[in-house]
Amino acid sequence: MNDTELGTHEWWESYKETVNNDPEMKVRGHDKFSENFYVEIGDERVLLEVDGGEITQLVPNPTMNQQWSFGVEGDREAWEEFVQETPPAFNHEIIASHYRSAVRNEDGHLQLTGNNKKIFQNLRAFQRTLDLMRVAHNDGGS
Amino acid sequence: MATNYQPGDVEPISGSYVHTEVEGVDHRIYVEENGPEDGIPLLCQHTAGNNCQEWRHLLTDEAITDEFRVIAHDLPYHGKSVPPTSQKWWTDDYTMTAERFTETLVNLADALELEDPIYMGSSMGGNIALELADWYPERFRALIGLECGAYSPGFYIDWLDHPEVNTTEVNAYACWGLMAPQSPEPTRRETMYLYEQGATGVFKGDLYYYSVDHDYRDKLDQVNADECPLYIANGEYDYLTTPEDGRQAAEGIGEGATAIELAEIGHFPMSEHPELFNAYIREILADITGDRDEDLPSVLKPDDVGIELHQRGPAREKQAK
Repeated sequence: MNDTELGTHEWWESYKETVNNDPEMKVRGHDKFSENFYVEIGDERVLLEVDGGEITQLVPNPTMNQQWSFGVEGDREAWEEFVQETPPAFNHEIIASHYRSAVRNEDGHLQLTGNNKKIFQNLRAFQRTLDLMRVAHNDGGS
Repeated sequence: MATNYQPGDVEPISGSYVHTEVEGVDHRIYVEENGPEDGIPLLCQHTAGNNCQEWRHLLTDEAITDEFRVIAHDLPYHGKSVPPTSQKWWTDDYTMTAERFTETLVNLADALELEDPIYMGSSMGGNIALELADWYPERFRALIGLECGAYSPGFYIDWLDHPEVNTTEVNAYACWGLMAPQSPEPTRRETMYLYEQGATGVFKGDLYYYSVDHDYRDKLDQVNADECPLYIANGEYDYLTTPEDGRQAAEGIGEGATAIELAEIGHFPMSEHPELFNAYIREILADITGDRDEDLPSVLKPDDVGIELHQRGPAREKQAK
């Protein structure tokens, strides 16, 4: 487990490095995953500006001057479950978590927002980007 | 489970095509099998949009194929079961229904002359166990519904067959989170690779049955599990049909229905973690054949079947810049 607390500046910088050096992202980004999205942990929102499968910039508290296609929102407890090395069922992956929120109306899971077409056009690279939160959080563990 | 093949080894799986009529049309259905000709037939149904390769590890498990004639097929339009040449199938959307699905399975069992077979299927193949128990209880010795529930809404999604979406990837990776993260990565990745082989529109068409047509919430009392034993076995990490969904279905059916939670595994148990699944399913098969003395537990865990979970490696080195 990484000593750095989830969502701190140091954590996000370590995460950015993990994404930008991930060999699968080199393949699954196809050099074409170029959609900005935000991650909201509790009340804290960070915009990830992505170009060609790499995070180019992290923007805390994005304003109307920024643009994004979609986002993921959840309370801090749900995200802390998500980044565990072996996460519990239903918060272990974004579609799993979203399904329990959107279809089964359960609390305590992550939820997708924004342009669904863009989400599905970029699903595998976007999904991998989120899964790498777990890798970064666990010092490079799976 | 045979996993240590060497160059030159030939796996004991044989493939063939059998002709089966469905809705009055002849279909050429691909079938793979292994096990003694006089073994207990175990007919294995793949998940929506997939094919019989999901069962390849069960088909080579000697602990099972010594006793059972394991048979896995590709439904029409899946895998090697190409669409019928007598039909202009390209002028219609592919849509699976409960009637078409059950007719295919029963007619396939008839065409293969299977005597008293056990049926086992996962996901849409799990849900259909309820219709089989309702409509054809006399045709099967027992039914095993893996990842089975009375109702599984929300997965009939337009993006799974859309010209502006890479459906090859999306059909696969929409399912990524259905697997347990502790299942071995090579077999999880292989499961998704199999999904990437599906024909356009077939996964979504299957999901019409799975998420729309199949709704047994008010019909569970029609299910004849007292005539044909029904096992509902759902993985802990299956967010579509949870173990709780399985328990509720079994309670609604009553006598003859048994719910079992499969711990530490997900929605594609036979392909995402074959070693663990094969050990789990041996317990259920032993219950069907009467070779098990004790009742099945409500939760099967890796320790119960002598499986040590896939060990995560030490934290991997971050990639050098």
